[in-house]
Amino acid sequence: MIPSANTIPQEEKIISTRNLKFTYEGGVQALHGLNLDIRYGDYLAIVGGNGSGKTTLAKTLNGLLRPTSGTVFVKGRSASEQKVAELAKIVGYAFQNPDHQLFCSSVEDEVRFGPENLGYSDSEVREKVERAIEAMRLGDVRKLPPLSLRLGQRRRVSIASIIAMDPQVLILDEPTTGLDAGESQDLLDRLKVLNAEGKTIILITHDMRVVAENARRVIVMSNGRMILDSDCRGVFSDLAILGESSLEPPPVSKLAHRLAKYGIPQDVVSAEELVFQLMRSGGGG
Amino acid sequence: MGGFIDLYTEADTFLHRMDPRVKIVSVLMLSLLAFVLTNLNLLLLLLAFIFLLLLLARATMSRTLFALKFVFRFMVLIVILWPIFDPSGSPVLASLGPIKITEPAIWRGVTSAVRVGCLATVWYILMFTTSQRDLVRALVKLGVRFDFGLTLAISLRFLPTFGALIDSIKDAQRARGLELSKGGLLKRSRNYVAVLVPTIVSALRTADTLSLALQSRAYGARADRTYLRDLTMRPSDYVALTVLVLLLVLPTFAKFVMQIDI
Repeated sequence: MIPSANTIPQEEKIISTRNLKFTYEGGVQALHGLNLDIRYGDYLAIVGGNGSGKTTLAKTLNGLLRPTSGTVFVKGRSASEQKVAELAKIVGYAFQNPDHQLFCSSVEDEVRFGPENLGYSDSEVREKVERAIEAMRLGDVRKLPPLSLRLGQRRRVSIASIIAMDPQVLILDEPTTGLDAGESQDLLDRLKVLNAEGKTIILITHDMRVVAENARRVIVMSNGRMILDSDCRGVFSDLAILGESSLEPPPVSKLAHRLAKYGIPQDVVSAEELVFQLMRSGGGG
Repeated sequence: MGGFIDLYTEADTFLHRMDPRVKIVSVLMLSLLAFVLTNLNLLLLLLAFIFLLLLLARATMSRTLFALKFVFRFMVLIVILWPIFDPSGSPVLASLGPIKITEPAIWRGVTSAVRVGCLATVWYILMFTTSQRDLVRALVKLGVRFDFGLTLAISLRFLPTFGALIDSIKDAQRARGLELSKGGLLKRSRNYVAVLVPTIVSALRTADTLSLALQSRAYGARADRTYLRDLTMRPSDYVALTVLVLLLVLPTFAKFVMQIDI
């Protein structure tokens, strides 16, 4: 029994899916009946091998793909009843390749494009653009053509162009791919700030280190099913699940597994924690 | 999108095995034959022959219908429009102002529609029984310069890729609140700038990378390149070629030399 729009409690969940199925035109079923609740302010990572349905799931959340059956509720309303442009106000989606979005002659114009499409007034647009440029630290390059920037900057521009629409939820598809360690860390720091300010972040990624250090909740996808929904500790201590979805835990978790016989717990997800545990088992030295 | 651009369907029939050069020449000859024949019955016979080939090549019904759907619409259009624009002949069946619908014009429309059907189907057979690689290799063997052949091969290869790229870019911009079909004609064409610019930029980036990849594999190092696989004519290819040459030459001879009205 699929609950109707008004039976979904609105207070905590910004997105809910009920028995969500999606089949591509060629007959490939990418999602096999997902039930997922995303709360306001979540920091969620969706992980899984290539072709596991991560991107398909994300695209149903903002209406780019319409469910074959089942329902996606956004703020309690069925997404199928709303246009992508309406949903964009609530669910922002930054594509993997920033070059698929950039077309304006200056960073500023690029960032303006979204809020202008949504019909905000001039002063609102200006304010939102300023906030987005500030959030992604693009002040220095705001007059430059986005296509002349480095990949890390181009990605920040494409994310800023989504943030400028002021969506409650921000979906980022592989945001750290192709960035060097510094750029990547910088971007993740900015996302943490946005999350702390109340934005719901959904990160699609292959990088388990990024997941371990940022997300509070992890969903593991495999063959169009959610095979695990847990916090990071639960996911990275479950080697069987990870193997099934061709994922590898971050190095620090692997090290903890190897050190199990010395009494190190299996749910370590950061270097600091490992150091702490080592000091403790080493007799407090 | 991919299925629409590359019609090739893997199978093991005599048409799939036939030398691609013979197939190209045969298709050209059958196309010429469709123009030589003016008699509706003979054209229908040719269409039946071409459909027989379609069956022998084990065409999948759904893909064939999909590919020929547009042609069928075009044929219907010809049958409807021909009599309206061709007032010659008698008897006149109906008239409305300057428009006269005559019986011979209707038959001429039907004849032309059948001819278009023959042409489309015969070229469709070539496309779905010949892989793009074989097609290009045959063209090069028939005397087309290798770089032209390679250009054609690359274009065909990248068409579905660009189809997917455009879809992805459209989605990316829709996620920014762009509504492509909103507004008047001017507004709508301006909407497409947001799709067109990233498409062109991505295409140029791809082309640039591709040219480097070709060079790093020694493309153009020697003029006299060799080929791993060569095309060789088998006895069955000669038989097929002979049959098709006769099929074109006999009616042509009958029409233009013996002045038989066909």
